[in-house]
Amino acid sequence: MTKITEKATSLLSEGTVKMIIGYEMGTERPRPLFCHTAEECEKLIMNAECKNNLAVYLTKKEIIGEEKIAVIGNYYVVKTVIQLQRENQINLDNLMVMTADENGEVITFTTIDEMKEYTDTHEPAPDPKMVAALEKIDKMSREERWEYWKSELSKCIRCYACRAACPLCYCNRCVTEVNCPQWIEPWAAPLSNMEWQINRVMHMSGRCVGCGECAAACPLDLPIGLLCKKMGMDIKSTFGEWKDGNVLSTYNIGDKENFIK
Amino acid sequence: MWLQRNWDCNVILSKLIPYKVSNIMSRIGVFICHCGENISATVDCERVAKASSEMEGVEFATDYKYMCSDPGQTLIKTAIKEHHLDGVVVGSCSPRMHEATFRRACSEAGMNPYLCEIANLREHVSWVHEKCEATTNKAIEIVHGLVEKVKRNRPLDAIEVPVTKKALVIGGGIAGIQASLDIANCGQQVILIEKGPSIGGHMSQLSETFPTLDCSQCILTPRMVEVAQNPNITLYTYAELEKLEGFIGNFKATIRLQAKSVDDSKCTGCGLCTTKCPQNNIPSEFNEGLGTRTAIFTPFPQAVPNKPVIDKEHCKYYQKGKCKVCQKFCPTGAIEYDKPDEFITEDIGAVVVTTGFNVLKTEFFPEYGYGKYKDVINGLQFERLASASGPTLGEIRRPSDGQIPKKIVFIACCGSRDPAKGIPYCSKICCMYTAKHAMLYQHKVHDGDSTVFYMDVRAGGKNYEEFVRRAVEEDHVNYVRGRVARVYEKSGKLIVKGVDTLMGAKPVEIEADMVVLATAGVANKGAEELAQRMHISYDPYHFFTEAHPKLKPVETNTAGIFLAGACQAPKDIPETVASASGAAVKVVSLLSRPTLIREPLVAVVNRCAPPLFSTCVGCFMCQTICPYQAIEREEIKDRKTGKVLKVIARINPGLCQGCGTCVSFCRSKSIDIQGYTNEEMYAEVTALLNK
Amino acid sequence: MEENNNNFEPRIIAFVCNWCTYAGADLTGTSRIKYASNVEIVRFPCTGRIDFMLLLKAFAGGSDGIIISGCHPSDCHYTSGNFHARRRWMVFRDMLDFMGIDIERIRWSWVSAAEGAKWADVVNDTVDKIRKMGPYTEYKKAAMFLEEEKICHD
Repeated sequence: MTKITEKATSLLSEGTVKMIIGYEMGTERPRPLFCHTAEECEKLIMNAECKNNLAVYLTKKEIIGEEKIAVIGNYYVVKTVIQLQRENQINLDNLMVMTADENGEVITFTTIDEMKEYTDTHEPAPDPKMVAALEKIDKMSREERWEYWKSELSKCIRCYACRAACPLCYCNRCVTEVNCPQWIEPWAAPLSNMEWQINRVMHMSGRCVGCGECAAACPLDLPIGLLCKKMGMDIKSTFGEWKDGNVLSTYNIGDKENFIK
Repeated sequence: MWLQRNWDCNVILSKLIPYKVSNIMSRIGVFICHCGENISATVDCERVAKASSEMEGVEFATDYKYMCSDPGQTLIKTAIKEHHLDGVVVGSCSPRMHEATFRRACSEAGMNPYLCEIANLREHVSWVHEKCEATTNKAIEIVHGLVEKVKRNRPLDAIEVPVTKKALVIGGGIAGIQASLDIANCGQQVILIEKGPSIGGHMSQLSETFPTLDCSQCILTPRMVEVAQNPNITLYTYAELEKLEGFIGNFKATIRLQAKSVDDSKCTGCGLCTTKCPQNNIPSEFNEGLGTRTAIFTPFPQAVPNKPVIDKEHCKYYQKGKCKVCQKFCPTGAIEYDKPDEFITEDIGAVVVTTGFNVLKTEFFPEYGYGKYKDVINGLQFERLASASGPTLGEIRRPSDGQIPKKIVFIACCGSRDPAKGIPYCSKICCMYTAKHAMLYQHKVHDGDSTVFYMDVRAGGKNYEEFVRRAVEEDHVNYVRGRVARVYEKSGKLIVKGVDTLMGAKPVEIEADMVVLATAGVANKGAEELAQRMHISYDPYHFFTEAHPKLKPVETNTAGIFLAGACQAPKDIPETVASASGAAVKVVSLLSRPTLIREPLVAVVNRCAPPLFSTCVGCFMCQTICPYQAIEREEIKDRKTGKVLKVIARINPGLCQGCGTCVSFCRSKSIDIQGYTNEEMYAEVTALLNK
Repeated sequence: MEENNNNFEPRIIAFVCNWCTYAGADLTGTSRIKYASNVEIVRFPCTGRIDFMLLLKAFAGGSDGIIISGCHPSDCHYTSGNFHARRRWMVFRDMLDFMGIDIERIRWSWVSAAEGAKWADVVNDTVDKIRKMGPYTEYKKAAMFLEEEKICHD
């Protein structure tokens, strides 16, 4: 019995939690698992292939219910929990957060500070393919970038899988569903698709944890992960850290720009 | 049905949505003003009116020579009534001129004033462009934009906020005293709280005030007595603000009344206890450490209230459990040990912050001895020496050996104007009080020699320049332009090493008997915590920030909280008194109304039917964005069980100033701002581009 | 670069704040300083109120350029609205540039209520620049994409 299964089983049997969200092996790759019994716990795994961001379920009351649950997730799940707590979306009294290291040792977090320390020191290396793609786009001229994104986003069918997969897209009424006024045209066309992506990324500014689930969920493999990554990098290098709130809800008198005259 | 995509698609689509009843049923009136010839010289007003009458939803359009005149306004009012208009667009001068006029006219005709918008055809069109077709076309487009906006305007009612008719003044210096008297004399109730055992502040420590050389206590103490006797003022000394909740007109202040160990109702102020107290070597704060006091003490003889308090940190009873001599001797049995601090809560309508400032101590200056040299003192200490009620009864004597100094050096700008010391600003009052100190010294020690090392002499007030000239010309004070690099002690004398820059940076060395540092004015200790407690802003030096440096010097950004005196920035007594009276008038104007009427152009978080209650998800990222702390948490509770179902944002209409920053920040678009709603602005922008 | 069409007059929308730039534009009028008539001003209470989507709507609606202007930093009538707006624009501008939208067509400025002459300069500069750049056809073409595939429902 792996250490994860051991920990999970004991939590359930002691009645500390009513359900555990973790990963199990699917047909081709790992997938989320919701354990209520010891038998289900035996399927729990954790390895580098476990990519789904389980925190997406934490804001859905209809899935997690009112009672205490535990989540055994990867690095990004822990990072997302910190962000969700900052945004008052979860109650840490009702949630146990755990992860597992390469040796299968279970790490339990009791406070946000512990989670922050873990995420600060265990950041995974950037995906070389993404880095290469960003460099390629950087070298393009403006017109080439426009053509690139227009052609990519003309394929988008506005299924909103990117929105559904993102744990930080938990608004009960999304901006696309506002029709008075119609901020983003609801039909699939290159411009409206670009408007949707711009909006999505702007709403992610300062909040995106970089899990890449949006790109993974896209049925057409559109490079939308690049948008979030690029925005996250820009914000980090320009603004550094902020204490409360969001990067756009705080400011520094010394914010430097070179385009407002 | 053909769904043809073209630029107008947005507008077409919006017409199909049943909600947009306003487009089909709107009855807008457009009134184009010629403004004499100001508009009509470059814009074809008749053509604009005609084009307006053809716009979708416009029921009536006309032009007229002077819309703002009586007949012009009557034209609008008549049209509203006759054509049953539900919106008005006036093409005229800037809304900053006449929006209020036209809104009032609409209101008088029975239409909600916020259904009236102004198209700026004068300052933004006719006065800045040439007479040509393009100019008239631009005028038509601007009117079209506002017609589309006004179709989405909703009727709004002014917000009424109740007002508690009581003011709280924090700080009992001259600013607090002046503000309290001014407010009380207008018939309003005032609560004045002071941290120390007596009111009076730094002004009570001064000997004489510039430029008149009035005795400071003589002009101050009558006011202090007035405060104590005024029936509208409730004075609490040895009291601090513990908590301030609420908003303008409706504050709730929790005040901590520190235990004085003396029952004020029984104490007669005879002072016997202070003569018997065995702990009599405590450095006196009032005398800036140059004299001593007892553990049971009044700070100075003219203290108001003139009742002593026990300093628990130095009292033998409180520290060691022994003594109780004061209780034995008190003829009225007024001493009561071991009483806890009391807390009182008061409902307050407005707050005036007058907590004052402090000056740096000599310990701050390594080049002048780190405070080790007894004869290097600061300006406030010199005031105590010069003061008739001070430790030396008004004689200037060296603190080290009590001798009268024959040579004094005054050093101006100690710490001020010095970015290296973290104080880049000028402390404003030092040039004047240094001249005053030098003059007082010369008056008291006729054969004395005084030198002032200065950078600039800033004497900008009324009679100030003449005052300084008197010091130089009549009292023969030596003014040397240069800074002092070091002061050190040698054989009982203080060696001052300075420079005279007007003589080509010639070094100047003086063997002085006493050195007086004009140290920088700084914010009081605890200013930052107090500001945070009250949610008012403060600058990097912990002085409190005014709402606008030029036009709102006594208000803060927190509605209902006002500032006066040196807690905002170093100032002299006349400015302090003026700002205190200014703040008082703001308070009285606020408290004299039965309710506070505010423009309803505030932000609102949407609400809808259960189980959603609001599209707000309660992330509260908006709370950090509001500069007025107007966003609160609201719990939505189940009606039967009381269980909290959801926590969402709520905007306090009493505090919101209507900037709209939260509106454009909210990701779920749950906040909207009345008067500039998302629909209105979207309609205006799209209409400007579509004919 | 588009070819300069001799008859092309750009259409530009200006998003301004009521307390500074709108008043500054009023001052331009009072001072009778003439400037190009291609710009139409939309009034907001504060630059903080300007939603970034409105810019995209302006481009989609046919605007060839945009001006956004407000109070100088530290002068905002509402204390911090323009600081938040500034941050928003910094992030938004990078995003737009990354996606290939022509940010040279957007002019950001701080114009105070006393800078009537500066407002006229900002307008004239921007109009000249956009005139040389030509109409923003590529954006409009993307907005009209569906027209080329007329959708017909019977």
